[in-house]
Amino acid sequence: MPRLTLLLACALLVLASSDSIAQTGKATKSRTAAQKNKKKSAPKKSTRKKSAKARKRPAPKAPKLPPLKTPADKQKFLAAIRASMPVRRVGSNLRYTSYDLDRSLEYRVGRDRIYAPVIDDERFVRRVHLDLVGRPPSARKVREFVADTMKSKRMRLIDKLLATEAYARKWARYWKNVIFYESTANRNRTNPQALEDWLTEQFKKGVPWDGIVAELVSAMPVRNKAKKKDKNDWSQKTGQNNFVLAYENKAPLLAAQTARLFMGISIQCAECHDHPFDAWKREQFHELAAFFSRGKYFMPNLDSTSKTTEMQPKFLLGEQPPIKLTVHQRRVAIAAYLVYNQDNYWFARSFVNRIWNELLGDGFYAIDSLGPDQECLHPSVVNRIAAVFRYRNFDPRWVFRLMMNTRAYQREIQTIDKDEELFTAVRPMRLNSGQVKASVLRLTGPDRNIGRALDREFRNDPSIPQRDLEGTIQQALFLMNNPTLQSKLNASKLKKRLVTVKQPRAVLTQLYLAVLSRRPTDKEFARGLKHLRQVPNRAEAIEDLLWVLVNSTEFLTKR
Amino acid sequence: MTSTHQPGHQQIPFTRRQAIGLSAASLLAPLGLCAEQLKRQQRACILVWLAGAPSQMETWDPKPGTANGGPTKAIKTVLPGVSIAEHWPRLAKSLNTIAVIRSIVGKEAAHARGTYHLHTGRRMGGPEKHPTFGSVVAAELGDVNSDLPNFVSIGKTLSSGFLGVKVAPFIVNRAGQLPANVANGLASPRVSRRLALLKAQDAELSEAGAAALVEEHRVLYERARRLMTSPKLKSFKLDSEPDAKQQAYGKNRFGQGLLVARRLIESGVPFVEVSKGGWDMHNRLFTRIKTSAAEVDRGVAALLGDLKQRGLLERTLVIVAGEFGRTPKVNTKTPAPGRDHWARNFGLLMAGAGIKGGTVLGKTSANGQEVIDRAVSVEDVFQTICRAMKIDANKELFTPGGRPLKIVDGGKAIGEILV
Repeated sequence: MPRLTLLLACALLVLASSDSIAQTGKATKSRTAAQKNKKKSAPKKSTRKKSAKARKRPAPKAPKLPPLKTPADKQKFLAAIRASMPVRRVGSNLRYTSYDLDRSLEYRVGRDRIYAPVIDDERFVRRVHLDLVGRPPSARKVREFVADTMKSKRMRLIDKLLATEAYARKWARYWKNVIFYESTANRNRTNPQALEDWLTEQFKKGVPWDGIVAELVSAMPVRNKAKKKDKNDWSQKTGQNNFVLAYENKAPLLAAQTARLFMGISIQCAECHDHPFDAWKREQFHELAAFFSRGKYFMPNLDSTSKTTEMQPKFLLGEQPPIKLTVHQRRVAIAAYLVYNQDNYWFARSFVNRIWNELLGDGFYAIDSLGPDQECLHPSVVNRIAAVFRYRNFDPRWVFRLMMNTRAYQREIQTIDKDEELFTAVRPMRLNSGQVKASVLRLTGPDRNIGRALDREFRNDPSIPQRDLEGTIQQALFLMNNPTLQSKLNASKLKKRLVTVKQPRAVLTQLYLAVLSRRPTDKEFARGLKHLRQVPNRAEAIEDLLWVLVNSTEFLTKR
Repeated sequence: MTSTHQPGHQQIPFTRRQAIGLSAASLLAPLGLCAEQLKRQQRACILVWLAGAPSQMETWDPKPGTANGGPTKAIKTVLPGVSIAEHWPRLAKSLNTIAVIRSIVGKEAAHARGTYHLHTGRRMGGPEKHPTFGSVVAAELGDVNSDLPNFVSIGKTLSSGFLGVKVAPFIVNRAGQLPANVANGLASPRVSRRLALLKAQDAELSEAGAAALVEEHRVLYERARRLMTSPKLKSFKLDSEPDAKQQAYGKNRFGQGLLVARRLIESGVPFVEVSKGGWDMHNRLFTRIKTSAAEVDRGVAALLGDLKQRGLLERTLVIVAGEFGRTPKVNTKTPAPGRDHWARNFGLLMAGAGIKGGTVLGKTSANGQEVIDRAVSVEDVFQTICRAMKIDANKELFTPGGRPLKIVDGGKAIGEILV
């Protein structure tokens, strides 16, 4: 990709040659272009024209890059590249609303399909809270929201929650779990909490996604060797160092994870052999890994342990740095090729797809295992969202606002078996460990042991699709019997308050609102009232009902 | 055994989930065979998993006196002309009940991938998450009506993949203790009352569109409840085992884990995995191997002896394996050398059910770098395990997407080590 090569080479001369890169490539089209390039057939017309132009030009004198050793230098340099990214200027007044998204999605899914109706206010307020702030709403918030008569109240609630610290924390935690789930690094040399705190800060400030990723990927943590007691000090306290540290600063791991987490691409298999199901070649994997190497990078020979081949850094679409780079510069280069690369449609799309997957229970494609030969569902829709995401300055809040204001997000749940039915309803989703923990601790009050146990028992790989997740007997046993949990629930403020409520119907209403964030149905009233009548001891009866709701499927489900 | 295509049964519309849940026991029950009788004939398996990949040259295929052999010596075994590494004196004496394979040619030399391959018989990658073999055994031989889980793992293992929660491993972190949270202080009628209310409560969500989740939840709670009330729970505990017995297995996590495994097998659990980590010896191999091997040598020898004495060995397959082997060449790592990852030849042990003890399969070259006789694949090994367990390796399991996948894909059972 000569355009990118130029981009990187020139950016340091700060936009000196921005005219040569000012042409816009539509992100939606770049997908096909990228594919063609991979197969080494004719590249997109405009690209070819430009590469000819580039060749005619006298070879630019090898520019001198700054050493880029400090994070601040790296950021400044990346910011310069960012400023030269043409799509920002051209597309800045493009409109794409939730209404547009619904229309194009329903057109693709099929207008004649049966769509689930839009959820009522109680379901909505719980769903939105779980998604944006990671915990169910309090009974008071549910009542207030239901009572609100403003027509735009759903939109306003989304905006309100997006402005909270809890939103930043929830999604920081999500990405921390995503990054650390496959990490096998020595725990003394990483600091997941620091990463979470740093990400929280970024999401809170509204730092664009490209900036966050560029900083994570270009980090080059250095070991503090000064004192013996610091032998595990890799500056892991600096949050943004922890993506690199989670993968031990090892080139092959970082290559695989960068592709997986920030492009949604599974290329790991190509470390040892050409990818069995995709077009990835072994060389491509090792060329990518070469960016992360701390010295020369060698691809091991498959037939002999002693022979290796030196690899030069090259990005997945063929982009190559024009000059020899130092270790630090290479990290900046990979960040630039990944993030500020018009042809790399994967970057924006993988974020969009992940968030969609978290919100609706299914992605347009498996969130971390796409390859160039694997199709995604309704590509025109997801590509469009991804393209506009870029025009919108990679603003994560824009993505949430767009998606959560759609009918698609606000539909009732349904068990979905077939791909054709996807997005006609929302898949009922298992809550993740953080959401379960928040739901339980809301009832019991803070408790470290319960919190830890729930973290452990409900831990799941956040990159696994919802439909493949499973519950365990241990989870059931914990919620049924754990002595600490039972005693805390039985001594909880909620229970103590309910015991003092005289009116049985009010007991049930308050109980359901507190545990499931909704009022009971008629059937539930009937059942609950019967139970309260039958069990002479009111406290015991309430304990039973509380136990039932905490152990219900709904308590563990986003409905 | 449990085929949905059985003649006369074709018209019954099994759902995939039901098909998975069906077991030999439930199909044969109408024929007048009670579960206990079946159990006695039925096979079981204990997988001793040496996580991290043990070195073949310090275990079953030593090369003393060669450049690659390192300082490891070989010792004679009860089998004439067969030696194994010096760290395994007890197993050397019981080798007549064991089949040794020295010639597995693997394909994966990274931990996660090797672990996957040796647990599922499949290579990682691709759209399907394959079940770990314990889950396959639980699905094929497990008793759906059993109180105890049909697959217990002492220590971590892989997941049941597309076979789902019914046959997921029940993980016990520490041997000898009751699993956490199985007891509650409530009177049984009160628990039943709560469970009845729970069922009604969940019906609401099921109707609202979460039928599949509710059904899974119900199954989990049913199984949890059965486990809580089971008299067989004491199989997890060791207090009734005499101290001498506990000593014989080794008073350490691993040894006690094997003892619990035996107790669980006795109670009818068809698959127990006991893992022991720490085999990834890139450095200091020759000192570290001593302590690790001593625990495993003692434990496995005691287990085999105990199973035999109780008449359980003929129906229990014991496998001792790791994810791959280690480089024949000793590396130069500091502070002391070790061996790195190697999948081109490695070995494992099998004993008990269906296995011809006292056999040694395959041969590697003098420098230990290649198989020169009777190379076998990981798939061959899985075919052999299926034969030993009387499981039809060609049976097709269904993924949630409805894709049929054979239990083992390819490979041939190793006739030489089967009875």
